[in-house]
Amino acid sequence: MKKNKKLLISYSLVGLFIASCSSVQVTEEAVYEDSIQSIEVSSNRSSLEVPSSSRAVVANATVYFEFDKYNLSTRSIQALKSISDLMSENPSIEITIAGHADERGTREYNLALGQRRAESVADYLVLKGISRSRLTIKSYGEEMPAVSGSNERSWGRNRRAEIN
Amino acid sequence: MKKIFIFFLLPNLIFAELLLEITKGSENPYRVAIIPFQSDVSSVNNIVKVIKDDLLRSGEFYILDESMLLSIPTSIEEINSSEWKLLNIDFIVLGKISDEDNSSVKATYEIYDVSRKTKIRSSTVYGIPGRLRQLSHYVSDGIYESITGMRGVSTTKILYVNEIIDNDNLNYILYVADADGANEQELLRSNEPIISPSWSPDSKKVAYVSFETGMAKVFIQEIASGKREMVIENDHQISSPAWSPDGKFLSLTLFQDGNAEIYILNLVNKNLTRLTKHYSIDTESSWSPKGTKILFTSGRSGSPQLYEIDLTKFNTKPSRLTFEGNYNAKGSYLPNNEGIIFVHRSTNQFQIALKYFDENFIRPLTESKLDESPSVSPNGNVIIYAITDNKSGMIAGVTLSGATFVLPATNGKVREPAWSGFLR
Repeated sequence: MKKNKKLLISYSLVGLFIASCSSVQVTEEAVYEDSIQSIEVSSNRSSLEVPSSSRAVVANATVYFEFDKYNLSTRSIQALKSISDLMSENPSIEITIAGHADERGTREYNLALGQRRAESVADYLVLKGISRSRLTIKSYGEEMPAVSGSNERSWGRNRRAEIN
Repeated sequence: MKKIFIFFLLPNLIFAELLLEITKGSENPYRVAIIPFQSDVSSVNNIVKVIKDDLLRSGEFYILDESMLLSIPTSIEEINSSEWKLLNIDFIVLGKISDEDNSSVKATYEIYDVSRKTKIRSSTVYGIPGRLRQLSHYVSDGIYESITGMRGVSTTKILYVNEIIDNDNLNYILYVADADGANEQELLRSNEPIISPSWSPDSKKVAYVSFETGMAKVFIQEIASGKREMVIENDHQISSPAWSPDGKFLSLTLFQDGNAEIYILNLVNKNLTRLTKHYSIDTESSWSPKGTKILFTSGRSGSPQLYEIDLTKFNTKPSRLTFEGNYNAKGSYLPNNEGIIFVHRSTNQFQIALKYFDENFIRPLTESKLDESPSVSPNGNVIIYAITDNKSGMIAGVTLSGATFVLPATNGKVREPAWSGFLR
């Protein structure tokens, strides 16, 4: 590339200059390498979330989003309305809202996008009178796809917020 | 649970080892002859092969095939310059490997400049038996340095994440490996995702995002001891760590405001300073080489674009750096501060692109469909990134002189590469 060639030429000129003054570069060195320690962590996923099967009433839903968007569709709002009704009738229900993104785009931006999707769901439920303290919000970005495959259908299934 | 690996017990075990494969070289390379090294060490051929691969991977070298050699000089005095001019060779490398004793292998090498008819380098490297690839990398970096005038990166390392199914369980492994993908060693194994590995400037520590607690959290881990800590403990997600060039600060994305915002954490006193304040997403921060600016991705224009904040000016508005297309994200500065590399969406492709600050257009560097996570070598000459190919993921590289290569994974999906600083 043009730019880099310019850089290379200027560097090699410096090299020539040094060489013409001092002729031979003489070096002596020893290979050095730090040790590396490996560690392992594990989470028991079922202990992280309250298992929905242990509840008398289950609030479960998945809502979907457009690419790079976090606004709720009419269909999503209908699904969320049932969730808010259920939560209003059963004050003991607490839910986790996990936002997800499809594989396209960068991982950190997708993590933030998943968060916004989960927040959109939370904002709706709060507007419907649900206390925010009953909602746990998190994002997995593109790390936990619902389905595999690099096509529009799979991407559409993966751009979601899961409620449970 | 802790698992300790002593590295020298495992050199022959292959996990998801990456293999170097040059796909295209530079158009105007340095033409070099490497004379077969004199040696009584049986692995001399492997040592020379690693040296040649290192030089080829830089994309800037053509190496004369051994079968084309017209003579095999055993010393600089035996070199007949006219013979090498006939072969259009610019530089000749002569070398020797010898067993010093049980604890050391010695490599000596000399470089001869054909056009100037003079020796330009005479070097000795003492290596560790059983770690001969490292010895090779030291030699190739010396050769690279003398011929190009730039520091070599064969002795540097890369981090990456491998997602692999092991005994029916999904595992995420953070690996450290040599820059050519060999000698990979586990730093962290988890059953929850690991993303965004980032080196400390001295390359002794790594920061990364781990989901092991059930949500994204940033950890710092010391490579040599395995000692690790969660940098901030609260109920919110934290991600996207990037070290300041002096190693004293970590920029992070915090989600505690209901939205992704960038903060700077002082690693000494743990003070947090908020850097961005906008209702849209702000994330993927990275520091300029002198630590005076922070580059980040923001959705404030309606689509992800790159912005820069000047840390030396109080309360300045971020300035937008990218205008082409509706997706420019995950940017980082070139080490010479002449430009930035980032992920760019053009039509339906996500590719790695470069923008020099003195140009008003971007230069696409790659051409597959889902390229991401670009990371630049400390000499600024090579960019590695993750590609997705038939559901598997691997690391590919491109040099600014136009050479490309891949480091294919033999096992699972490899992604999130991050290049260390200089280690030699």
